[in-house]
Amino acid sequence: MAPAGELGLLSAITFLPLAVGCALVAAAAFVRGLPDSVFRLAGLGATLVAFLLSLQVFAGFDATNPGYQFVEYRTWIASYGINYFVGIDGISLVLVLLTTFLMPIVLLASAQDPAKSVKSYVFFMLFLETGMLGAFVSLNVFQFYLFWEVMLIPMYFIIGIWGGPRRIYAAVKFFLFTMAGSLLMLLAMLVLYYLHYEQTGTLNFDLVARPGIDALGLLDTRIPLLGEAVWWKTQTWLFAAFALAFAIKVPMFPLHTWLPDAHTEAPTAGSVVLAGVLLKMGTYGFIRFALPLFPGGAADLTPLLVTCGVIGIVYGSLVAMVQSDVKKLVAYSSVAHLGFVMLGMLAGNSQGLNGSVLQMVNHGISTGALFLLVGMIYERRHTRLIDAFGGIAKPMPVFAFFFAITTMSSIGLPLLNGFVGEFLILIGSYLAFPGATVIATSGVVLGAAYMLWMFRRVFFGPISNPENQGLIDLDLREKVVIVAMVIPMFWIGLYPETLLRRVEPSVLELMRQIESRSALSAQQPPAASALIAEAAQAGRQP
Amino acid sequence: VIQPPELDLSVLAPIATLGIGGMVVLLLEVTLSRVKSLGDSRIGVYLCGVSIAALFGAACSAGVAFAGGEARMFDAAHPLYQLDRFSSLVSALLCVGALLSCALAVTYLDALRINHGEFYALVLLSTAGMLFMVGSVDLIALFVGLETMSIPIYVLAGFDRRKLRSNESALKYFLIGSFATAVMLYGMALLYGATGATSFDGIRAGFDPQSPLALVGLGLLLVGFAFKLSSVPFHQWTPDVYEGAPAVVTAFMSVAVKTAAVAALLRVLGFALAPMGETLQGLLWGLAAASVIVGNLMAVVQDNLKRLLAYSSVAHAGYILIGFVAGGSDGYSAILFYLFAYTLMNLGAFGVIVALAQQGQECERVDSLAGLAVQRPTLAALMTLFMVSLAGIPGTVGFIGKFQIFMAAAQANQIPLAIIGLLMSVVSVYYYLRIPVLMYMREPADDGARMQTSVAEMAVLGFCAFFVLYLGIFPNGGFLLPWDVSVLDWARASVNPFFAS
Repeated sequence: MAPAGELGLLSAITFLPLAVGCALVAAAAFVRGLPDSVFRLAGLGATLVAFLLSLQVFAGFDATNPGYQFVEYRTWIASYGINYFVGIDGISLVLVLLTTFLMPIVLLASAQDPAKSVKSYVFFMLFLETGMLGAFVSLNVFQFYLFWEVMLIPMYFIIGIWGGPRRIYAAVKFFLFTMAGSLLMLLAMLVLYYLHYEQTGTLNFDLVARPGIDALGLLDTRIPLLGEAVWWKTQTWLFAAFALAFAIKVPMFPLHTWLPDAHTEAPTAGSVVLAGVLLKMGTYGFIRFALPLFPGGAADLTPLLVTCGVIGIVYGSLVAMVQSDVKKLVAYSSVAHLGFVMLGMLAGNSQGLNGSVLQMVNHGISTGALFLLVGMIYERRHTRLIDAFGGIAKPMPVFAFFFAITTMSSIGLPLLNGFVGEFLILIGSYLAFPGATVIATSGVVLGAAYMLWMFRRVFFGPISNPENQGLIDLDLREKVVIVAMVIPMFWIGLYPETLLRRVEPSVLELMRQIESRSALSAQQPPAASALIAEAAQAGRQP
Repeated sequence: VIQPPELDLSVLAPIATLGIGGMVVLLLEVTLSRVKSLGDSRIGVYLCGVSIAALFGAACSAGVAFAGGEARMFDAAHPLYQLDRFSSLVSALLCVGALLSCALAVTYLDALRINHGEFYALVLLSTAGMLFMVGSVDLIALFVGLETMSIPIYVLAGFDRRKLRSNESALKYFLIGSFATAVMLYGMALLYGATGATSFDGIRAGFDPQSPLALVGLGLLLVGFAFKLSSVPFHQWTPDVYEGAPAVVTAFMSVAVKTAAVAALLRVLGFALAPMGETLQGLLWGLAAASVIVGNLMAVVQDNLKRLLAYSSVAHAGYILIGFVAGGSDGYSAILFYLFAYTLMNLGAFGVIVALAQQGQECERVDSLAGLAVQRPTLAALMTLFMVSLAGIPGTVGFIGKFQIFMAAAQANQIPLAIIGLLMSVVSVYYYLRIPVLMYMREPADDGARMQTSVAEMAVLGFCAFFVLYLGIFPNGGFLLPWDVSVLDWARASVNPFFAS
């Protein structure tokens, strides 16, 4: 734990982008005519520094320690037990790394993209990064909720100001969907908080006990199962409230309808961040909060969630197949991919959970790269319709090459990252739900089908449209961007141990938590068990 | 031998400051208007300065009383007015709200060409009434305070006397307002009949929950309060009055009248009628749910900015009533905090509307905000902040306010009501976000002259924005600021005495 007064590494990473963003805005207010390039460079610099700092965290992370590391703890609003409490385990580590990795790339990729109000654009991107990182490192439930909601605002503006023709509709829909889910989660958090208070007598929003102190965290609260208490104090309802918030963000079928709109209308950078990081917020929420807090409730609702996951996989793939817009196709493929992530997570075994965490990163990288590539071609042709292309491998060989690699990574070709994650997930989920997994596997086949079909129609064949004749291939900046994305695809594909070694102990710890909490919920409180014994006694002696 | 009553005159310091200030403003206006070399706007600046000084003095003396802590009566033998932690805290808040409104008025009254000094005098006298109302511990005192507060506001609503809407607003407010006051007075009479007392102590002691007379009296009293709070179904006047009154009056009225009414209701329910329990809770439940639902749903379809904020204020009354339903020291301190939050963010939002008024024209239509981010980026950014806060997004004081209200509801097991409130907050996000959508995502309708925001307006908006953010992140202070703003602790300390006895 960092001693009071000392700025910890995680806080530095989290707040650096926002601090730089605010400094830039202040500078713009005082210096008239500050050029946009200053904003772009400073934004890029800030995100790069955050990335380097997170590499330092990655290097300093002790893979053998399953608990939270780099923990910082500060009392914040004492009267409500709200603390500033950050720390990471293997699961949040890889997601933090994914976020800090994607942000500089995104800013570099959009170096020319928004032509208007560049200053606010950079500010909102930096604000967004702080929001996302804050949510990943929070170990206090209130603090998590704060970051979770706050990050909606920059994303809302990014879609709404720099998006496509239906951007306002998409932005508002995105905001309302997420907000609707999360407010019920807030209520569930409060109920949980008071349950904890009833049992321990302390007001506390910390998820786990703060290190070095004997206090208890919310994870030590015994939550009644269905039928033992008033309905809103049962695990199933509390889990349902959390799950709704997270399922909207994932998004799971049938709550996914905001996603194609948001993705299609968002500017390239927005889509990349949305697919790369924001969707992971939902799956991360399941892993960090919903599953360990309410294992009993999760068990009750697993059949429903698995069904929705499988439907999402098949439905997402089928709908992706018939899209005429490349970006929409990639958006629907996200629905399918995230269905796999959910399946692996719900399996609850180490293969499934490991694969699920790994696949979160993989999806961030490969779908992020796909959106970047689509953005590059859109900048040249101002259309994304598959029919408008055809044969562009000839004028743009480098682009075609990288697009091919990314496509392969997305459909899970061995040696590339997607394969490892999908494989682990399928093993894990087959052990848990064989029937559902068989159906889900069809999603893998369908995924290959729609991606390759799209690839063929865009890149091969004769050049039917004369406008495609004169397309210019990638320039240096674009090459840097895409190469940076391709490196981790190969790295994870060839040597997933780099990540898995750090993720696995935390996954095992998570499974231990879930198990011990299931046992805790199964324990009847003394009064109730006495009643049951009495009833049994009475039953035996007529 | 008649003993002279032992009066503690220092108790009246805040009210007296305001009353004297109001008189001085009136006299000064007459004197100054004889001086030919001074224009209306210059006189306005002077009068505004005097009234700000009076309000600041009153706020300070209330603050000193708050720090002192002990409850002091004006006349210990006949309890009418009591200055305790609760009334001094709310008084200070009311003075700050009035002060900010006065600061907003300087350039606004000029822009609308209604720069008459009476404005400041009326604000001061009305505030004095509010202060008396929140400190009253007797139904009679409560009523006197209420009327002293209301009558200047009726006048203020019609302050733009050349405009039909402003006149309509004043008349409507006056007629419906007097009707509601009469109902309330009738309720007080019945309560007196049932309990034999007008003092809160006496009512509390003599209250019999079985007596139909007392129940009817209680119901009529609630109607009067619901009217001042603009809670559904007594909210019909709100949109019309808010729309017609000059924006700066609407700002003052929406913030201060609501604060005063809520505070007085809090003392009545929390203390005098505390034995009522269940019956009362059922009534409040209905009012709260109806206000939250109707307020939020009606706000969605509004095209007029002031009407939108009027319905939003109905909805906020609903959230405050949820705190009443939850009750207890948690619920009541949540309400007090909410009043701070509401004052800051609502004054901020109206402040932006005030700053946009120019050349005798109000900024009325929601559409007229289109493209504001290009024309006046600072105002657009501030307006966004206030909207985000009104919507209750974390990081702002509006969130902390709602958070505490819902926390108290969860604590009191009022889950269904909390769910209604939360779902309606989602609806509210829709209409609050329409405004940033217009400002940032639409092109401006015309190139409109780029007006400068006056220093006073900028100061008010900056003050509100700073505290919206600061209290949103550190609701209990203790960071960055050299002075103490532990609003959470203040609120709790103020309501705790209700539960001591």
